[in-house]
Amino acid sequence: MLKTKVAPSLAGLARPDKNKSNMSSSELPRKEANVLKGHEGAVLAARFNSDGNYCLSCGKDRTIRLWNPHRGIHIKNYKSHGREVRDVHVTPDNSKLCSCGGDRQIFYWDVSTGRVIRKFRGHDGEVNAVKFNEYASVVVSAGYDRSLRAWDCRSHSTEPIQIIDSFLDTVMSVCLTKTEIIGGSVDGTVRTFDIRIGREISDDLGQPVNCISMSNDGNCILASCLDSSIRLLDRSTGELLQEYKGHACKSYKMDCCLTNSDAHVIGGSEDGSIFFWDLVDASVVSKFRAHSSVVTSVSYHPKDNCMITSSVDGSVRVWKT
Amino acid sequence: MDSDEEDYVFFGTPIEREEEITNRRKKAAAEASGNLRALPPWKQEVRDEEGRRRFHGAFTGGFSAGYFNTVGTKEGWAPQSFTSSRKNRAEVKQQSIFNFLDEDEKAELEGTLGTSSQFDTFGFTAAEHARKQADKEQKQRPSAIPGPIPDELVLPASESIGVKLLLKMGWRHGRAINDSRASSLYDARREARKALLAFASEDAKAPCPADEPVEEPESFTVQPSDDDARSSQSLPKVVYLITLIGDEENLFHDVESTIMRYEGPYDAAEISDLVQQLPMAKTEVMEDVVNAKEARFRRGIRYKRFLDLHGLGYDPFKHAPEFREKKRLHLLNDKQRGDRKTMSIKDSLFGSKSGKAAPGFGIGALEEYDAEDEDIYAAGYDFEETCIEDDEEPSRLGIESKQPSRLSIESKQKVVARDQGVLPGFKVASVSDYQLERFDPPVIPKDFAPHHKFPGPLETLKKLDVPSPPEVPPPDDSNLKLLIEGVAKLVARCGKLFEDLSRKKNQSNPLFSFLSGGNGHDYYERRLWEEHQKFGVQAKLLLDGKLSPSMQKMTAESRGKLLGEKPLERSSRETTSSSVASGEFQLQFNLSDTFKKPDSFSKLPDVAKPFKDDPAKQERFEQFLKEKYEGGLRSTGYTVASNMSEAARAREKLDFEAAAEAIEKGKRGKESMVSTQPLDFLASGMQFTSGGLEQVENGHAEDLVTKKMYPRREEFQWRPAPVLCKRFDLIDPFMGKPPPAPRARSKIDSLLFIPDSVKVAKPEEVAITNRDVPAAQTGAQMTIEDVAEEEIEIVAENVERPVDLYKAIFSDDSDDDVEDLNTKKVEDPEKKTEVATTALNRLIADDFLESLGKELGFEVPPDTPYSTNKANALRIETPNSDSGNAKFSTGTYLNPGNETAQDGDSQKNKSIPVRSGGYNSSKHTVGLLNMSGKVNEDKFAQEDKKVKSPSSRQRNWSSSSSSDDERSRKHSKRHRHRSSGSYSDPSSDDREHYRSRSKGKRERSSREKSSHSRKHSKHHKHRSRDSPSRSHRGSEREHSEARKEKRKRRD
Repeated sequence: MLKTKVAPSLAGLARPDKNKSNMSSSELPRKEANVLKGHEGAVLAARFNSDGNYCLSCGKDRTIRLWNPHRGIHIKNYKSHGREVRDVHVTPDNSKLCSCGGDRQIFYWDVSTGRVIRKFRGHDGEVNAVKFNEYASVVVSAGYDRSLRAWDCRSHSTEPIQIIDSFLDTVMSVCLTKTEIIGGSVDGTVRTFDIRIGREISDDLGQPVNCISMSNDGNCILASCLDSSIRLLDRSTGELLQEYKGHACKSYKMDCCLTNSDAHVIGGSEDGSIFFWDLVDASVVSKFRAHSSVVTSVSYHPKDNCMITSSVDGSVRVWKT
Repeated sequence: MDSDEEDYVFFGTPIEREEEITNRRKKAAAEASGNLRALPPWKQEVRDEEGRRRFHGAFTGGFSAGYFNTVGTKEGWAPQSFTSSRKNRAEVKQQSIFNFLDEDEKAELEGTLGTSSQFDTFGFTAAEHARKQADKEQKQRPSAIPGPIPDELVLPASESIGVKLLLKMGWRHGRAINDSRASSLYDARREARKALLAFASEDAKAPCPADEPVEEPESFTVQPSDDDARSSQSLPKVVYLITLIGDEENLFHDVESTIMRYEGPYDAAEISDLVQQLPMAKTEVMEDVVNAKEARFRRGIRYKRFLDLHGLGYDPFKHAPEFREKKRLHLLNDKQRGDRKTMSIKDSLFGSKSGKAAPGFGIGALEEYDAEDEDIYAAGYDFEETCIEDDEEPSRLGIESKQPSRLSIESKQKVVARDQGVLPGFKVASVSDYQLERFDPPVIPKDFAPHHKFPGPLETLKKLDVPSPPEVPPPDDSNLKLLIEGVAKLVARCGKLFEDLSRKKNQSNPLFSFLSGGNGHDYYERRLWEEHQKFGVQAKLLLDGKLSPSMQKMTAESRGKLLGEKPLERSSRETTSSSVASGEFQLQFNLSDTFKKPDSFSKLPDVAKPFKDDPAKQERFEQFLKEKYEGGLRSTGYTVASNMSEAARAREKLDFEAAAEAIEKGKRGKESMVSTQPLDFLASGMQFTSGGLEQVENGHAEDLVTKKMYPRREEFQWRPAPVLCKRFDLIDPFMGKPPPAPRARSKIDSLLFIPDSVKVAKPEEVAITNRDVPAAQTGAQMTIEDVAEEEIEIVAENVERPVDLYKAIFSDDSDDDVEDLNTKKVEDPEKKTEVATTALNRLIADDFLESLGKELGFEVPPDTPYSTNKANALRIETPNSDSGNAKFSTGTYLNPGNETAQDGDSQKNKSIPVRSGGYNSSKHTVGLLNMSGKVNEDKFAQEDKKVKSPSSRQRNWSSSSSSDDERSRKHSKRHRHRSSGSYSDPSSDDREHYRSRSKGKRERSSREKSSHSRKHSKHHKHRSRDSPSRSHRGSEREHSEARKEKRKRRD
């Protein structure tokens, strides 16, 4: 019955040149192009920058590393965190970084110099995720202290400009749109805070939400839940569009994402494999073992068929078709 | 660019116009020239050279600080003349009473305060005067006076220490003590020192026998010491004075002996201090002091301070002379045992006892007129009472045998009273008027059981046992029959009281004669009994539910269930917070939807399956039944049969009605049996689980239910920080609004405004049953899929409530039935009567309950759904829809705060499906829509698409703006699903995909398209209006325009 559920093809009209139905599994990035080694210990997150030319990784070794994934070159090392770095994000203009981690602080870096411009303190616990807003003027962080905090990068104040504490449990992940802040929490909710309307919409999924990621058209949210399923939610109505299962995700903070064409859902598994699901019918299109240990993060190239994955085994791998 | 003006922020004060300034100048000039000089000062306005009045602040002078903005005063400004302090430096001014008195008090005191010879206690004149007076009085009173003794009789036994000190200091008798004497402090100190030295030396020089009892039988005024030396020597000592009172002094006859002791204004500590100051003070003195102390304590004698704390010259009895005597008597009684000296000093010194004291000093707040209460400050000392106890009593008791006098009796009484805990100063009244009334506790009847029994269920339960009245054929008059049935129903529901009331009220009305035994009474009885049976069954259930172990406690839900309420959904499953905003609408919804028929109705006996041969039909029938007895919306049910023609559907519906009626009848017949076997009833499948209302048809459904609970959407208000809005380049939606109320997270909230969860279960079942329907029945596989899809859609959105419009139209079962029956002209007399009964019920309920209930505060179970009115209102609204629709696409949806705008929105939204669907109001069930949608598929496809995009867009934005919007959103959503399911997109090229998928995609794409168009329009506005921060919201603009207008008006 669920299979027959209406699940929208997101990019069908937006990208008429690319026919989703013809996107076969052969176009999925399954060949290992590069292995980015350098982290000592688990890599907790790997992220493409906005144009996909570079990537950032951060890990238990308290460093953030900047790579050129296409050439497999390590460019820079950012060291200042006192504990593991859990998430990193880079501004669209590649000039600033923000990172967060176990030291309860959010670091605001200058990319080129590698210096910390500002540290935002205020979270009462580890910070799980961090994101810039569209204008790179605000950093929103999600913390173990059940709150989302928005930090102002433009003023010199180190106080958060907004604390959203309506979550009932750890906030694991945060996404930002132009007008909204979306947070996924262990309390099972994905909460959308619409700044423009001043409204909080809480979508209770009933399962702890590990990671959320937006579809590229912005209409859906992919929520990785700790019951080993990834759920696709329609943002406007809150209805559950699809569930993707087969992988193992029970105890680690693991990322999931959509391909840049929104045709497939990508998720890592705790056994080190990568899963590709068809967005619409939720069938596992492809599955391969990418790492020897838990896949902590997957990030898809914004334009190309390229993907980076990071793992507890300490490597970041670049995958291409 | 009018609209931009209000966005300017003005800094600083605007430049004033010239004419204003010139006006002011003119005025100032006129003032300066003296035009206004003639005015009295209080009328003059103080202005500066510009002619402006200066405001100094409300508390600092207003418009004229100082003296008309000057530093002067009314008298003019005069600097204080300088006086050098070189000569008379450190001059300490002696304070006197007059320093502390007001003018009027001084005037009052002017002549009165001062020493007169009469009150010159220090002088001999006073003493002599008193003596003379006493003599005189003695002559006048030859006999013994046991009563009050005149104060004048009590004269100083000796000079007080004060007098002695004064004498040492050089004061002489007959001289006044006043300011002029003590001119400077130095002088006073020096003199005092000298006096003390002299005093000490004298003290040392006069080693007189310490304890010298002085007997002066001739005189009742005892003066133990005449001269200074003697008195000072005997000062610390206790002097025993045995006063033998002669015949003429027999006013003291009851006093055998008085213990004279020193009680002066100084106590022993002061004196010892005094003594210690003297270097040459002899140890004897010290010893004496110590001895004296010991002696005192041994006898329980305490020092006595001033008892009278009134100010100098104050007469507490000035306005109450009747108490003076009493006090005097009291004091005397004490002082007779105490010392003469003190009293005389005190009395003569301060004149309080003489009654001729000069007025003037106030009384302390805590002081009272009663002598008993004088001593409130001397907490450390226990004066009179202990005196009585310690010294008086032995003597008293000793006396008692010899002379049972009044006083001894009194003292005895005192002792007794004291023992009883009577307040000091009070004595127990011999005859007391007040008798404490005591009542016996009420006698508890022997058969009283300490449990409260609620009358309602009990009553009905009793009624159950009442043997049923014989089955009586209904009266011929159908109107009467309806009336009887209605009244019976109401009476059964509301209790006997209602019957009495209506009987009383309709005494004269022949129609209601059945109430009082007239025509149709038997039938009424029967009906009443039947109704009671119905209620009784529920009551039984209640009791059984209590008894059954599966149900530990009667929850609000189970109670509501018994009462036929629809449970508030999700109350037991989740207690997560729910928003106030959405709750508002939900409350409304719940209220209308809360009451449905009790479970006993909705339970279809297993035997009753009129359409056994046709499972699909049977299924539909069951659905029909369920909906029939369910309050609220019935739209979901009709989605089932999608492939039938309208006529077929109508026919089937009538069949169902008839069948339902038959089942109902059969059930009623069985009710008596049921009432005797309540457990059977329970066992037949009723489940009192706290969460589930619906009977679980199979386990599979339940599984799906739990799965389908999520995701669940809730909405709350959230206030972004202004800075955040700024950083996101958005306009603060709460700009200029007061901070919102904190989000309610209380339990009550979650109980009241819980989103739907039972609704979740229902469509699910529908979906399942539907899918099980064999294809043969429906004909085409495609349509089945369509339907299934449809159902799934419903399932997916089951978090939300169904549309209000549908509910409003279909919630009223009876109305609906009447309509249908009338239109279809199907004759079914039984059914008709039943329908009419319900209609009448409502009618009567309205009438009676409104009129009677209001008069008498009579509570009636809320049975009539309010939605009938609602439906009407909505129907009225629909004509406006077109104009409304035209508007809202331009962005009326954006106005989260503005309530009127919201109302408008919701109204418009309600009309959306009617218009965009193109199928009008005659048939609103989804099933019907679906059918016609199929029929007109091609025709409407394009149109649908066009219309839909604004509507879905509307939904997107309005979803969070208000509760009304949410409702409307569901509405539009429902419509959208249907339409999206029915049209075929010619532009879509993924035909090879199977249908559901392509449909989904199409829907998605269309939504996306709509969002794209939204974006475009946004950009467009951006461009047109230059500033990106500018609102692209129409409403915002409206708002600002309104503001502007306001401003203009103000100007």
